[in-house]
Amino acid sequence: MAGSEINVTATLIWYYYICHREVWLMARQITPDQDNSNLEIGRVIQDQRYAREKKEVDLGGLKVDILKREGGELVIAEVKKSSRFKESARMQLAFYIKSLKTHGVIARGELRFPEEKQKEAVILDEQLEQELDRAEREILRIAYLEQPPRPEKIQWCKRCAYNEFCWT
Amino acid sequence: MFVIVVYDIAEKRVAKVLKKSRQYLYWVQNSVFEGEISEAKYKKYVTELKKIINLEEDSVIIYNLRTSKYSSREVIGLEKGGQSNIL
Amino acid sequence: MQKTLYIFSNGTLQREGNTLCYITEEGKRFLPVEDIQEIMVFGAVDFNKSLLEFLTQHEILLHYFNYHDYYMGTFYPREHYNSGFVILKQAEHYMEEAKRLTLAKKFVAGALRNIEQVLRYYERRGIALGDTLSEFTDNETQIESITDLSELMAYEGNHRETYYRCFDKILDHPDFPFDKRTRRPPQNNLNTLISFGNSILYTIVLSEIYKTHLDPRIGYLHATNFRRFSLNLDVAEIFKPIIIDRLIFTLIDRQMLTKKDFEAETGGIVLKEKGRKVFVEELDKRLSTTISHRAVGHPVSYRRLIRMELYKVEKHLMGEESYKPFVSQW
Repeated sequence: MAGSEINVTATLIWYYYICHREVWLMARQITPDQDNSNLEIGRVIQDQRYAREKKEVDLGGLKVDILKREGGELVIAEVKKSSRFKESARMQLAFYIKSLKTHGVIARGELRFPEEKQKEAVILDEQLEQELDRAEREILRIAYLEQPPRPEKIQWCKRCAYNEFCWT
Repeated sequence: MFVIVVYDIAEKRVAKVLKKSRQYLYWVQNSVFEGEISEAKYKKYVTELKKIINLEEDSVIIYNLRTSKYSSREVIGLEKGGQSNIL
Repeated sequence: MQKTLYIFSNGTLQREGNTLCYITEEGKRFLPVEDIQEIMVFGAVDFNKSLLEFLTQHEILLHYFNYHDYYMGTFYPREHYNSGFVILKQAEHYMEEAKRLTLAKKFVAGALRNIEQVLRYYERRGIALGDTLSEFTDNETQIESITDLSELMAYEGNHRETYYRCFDKILDHPDFPFDKRTRRPPQNNLNTLISFGNSILYTIVLSEIYKTHLDPRIGYLHATNFRRFSLNLDVAEIFKPIIIDRLIFTLIDRQMLTKKDFEAETGGIVLKEKGRKVFVEELDKRLSTTISHRAVGHPVSYRRLIRMELYKVEKHLMGEESYKPFVSQW
């Protein structure tokens, strides 16, 4: 793609662990169908849960759901609709923590699935950092492909907002 | 899905419930609304209603018909509101 | 599916509280903003800037028509789906003659295939259309050999005329002769219906384009001058025969519209209010009718098919998959 820079964002990290085709589309701002009911429900939950606790903080292009100190420590929590995309959610949160680290802020993460009343801690260790580096390189490789990766029927297609776009 | 909402709300809050319902559904007659609504919007509407009403004093009942396809609706006397999209 | 709001009466449309309100002499009617996807204004309707801001927030398009039902314009809120990449590709396919012709040909071929399906249907029902049908059997090959846009336009025009000449056979109704295609103003009842239906379809396609990454100002078959919408005209060609023409045949055949629904105005024929209401009500039903769609794995409405057509165009522009127009199965 001539004359345009693609940056790895938290969103792209998320999609990388679900569908590479989606990474390519998202990187080019070819956003999915906003009418999709699953997307709509996701947004509603995002807006409603933790509304009192939520302080959306923008850290150089990063949006963190909740920031609070527990015993002098910084905890960033990510709220998700369900644990179905746990891997994506975990890596996305790790990505936030790593970005904070480059700003000199040490934090630990917490994944929250309010609908399932579940929580999970995310700690950035060496192994996780290496995996993130690898993913970021892969994302850039995919994003700069001339064509999007071909659609493949995976378990997520059925409920995906790109479903009709890919399979029409 | 297709829903019918009926409510009985204390006077000081009834106007707020009326206003909120008008955002999502069609007014049928006093304290009754109906309409097609998506699952997400339904969630939103219910959450917002809960913020308005007093759970100790007010009452809202929502009938969910899933689809209006298999139900019939008969009006005796005046049709005061309803959900016509052709004006 | 959210609703399309059609306004034929005279009144004021405004924002009241956090929703829409339409006020006439008869009183107020509240319309749930969350259930409205677009508004079509035919009557003399007043509105103000605060309404437009509200429509922008809710991403609702407002299309307006003049007294004679001519399309006048659209309030097209700030786009929220912008992809520079797609716009560049759209422009590239317009600027490069060969690429533009390729797409334009596909719109024509798709339109003619759907016309053929309509004719076939009536032939199966015993109307002698064999001669006409033979003109439609080899379209794709003939279109293949066309070398420029004006030739393509002429080819399309000729075939559409041939098709329109069949309307008299299909309808066989003394009150609805076709005569010849007349526009602005239409000179008879049938032409009035065709114009009315087509202009609504154009706006519906435009509303669907708004929900994609495409720019409605760059079309391929219809001349782009970057000042008005043209991509919606291109895509509408595919759907005119199967949505609008079929609807017209049904309305006349079932006597849902009769000559009493029309009146002569200065220079042309207009559809009276009751007739317009019947027309849009039936169009609405048709657009929400679903057909099964194997590839997607769930039934889709005709309205949704329009959106999917746009997705296919997007994929063609991205160079991912050559565009294959939708062809009705019946």
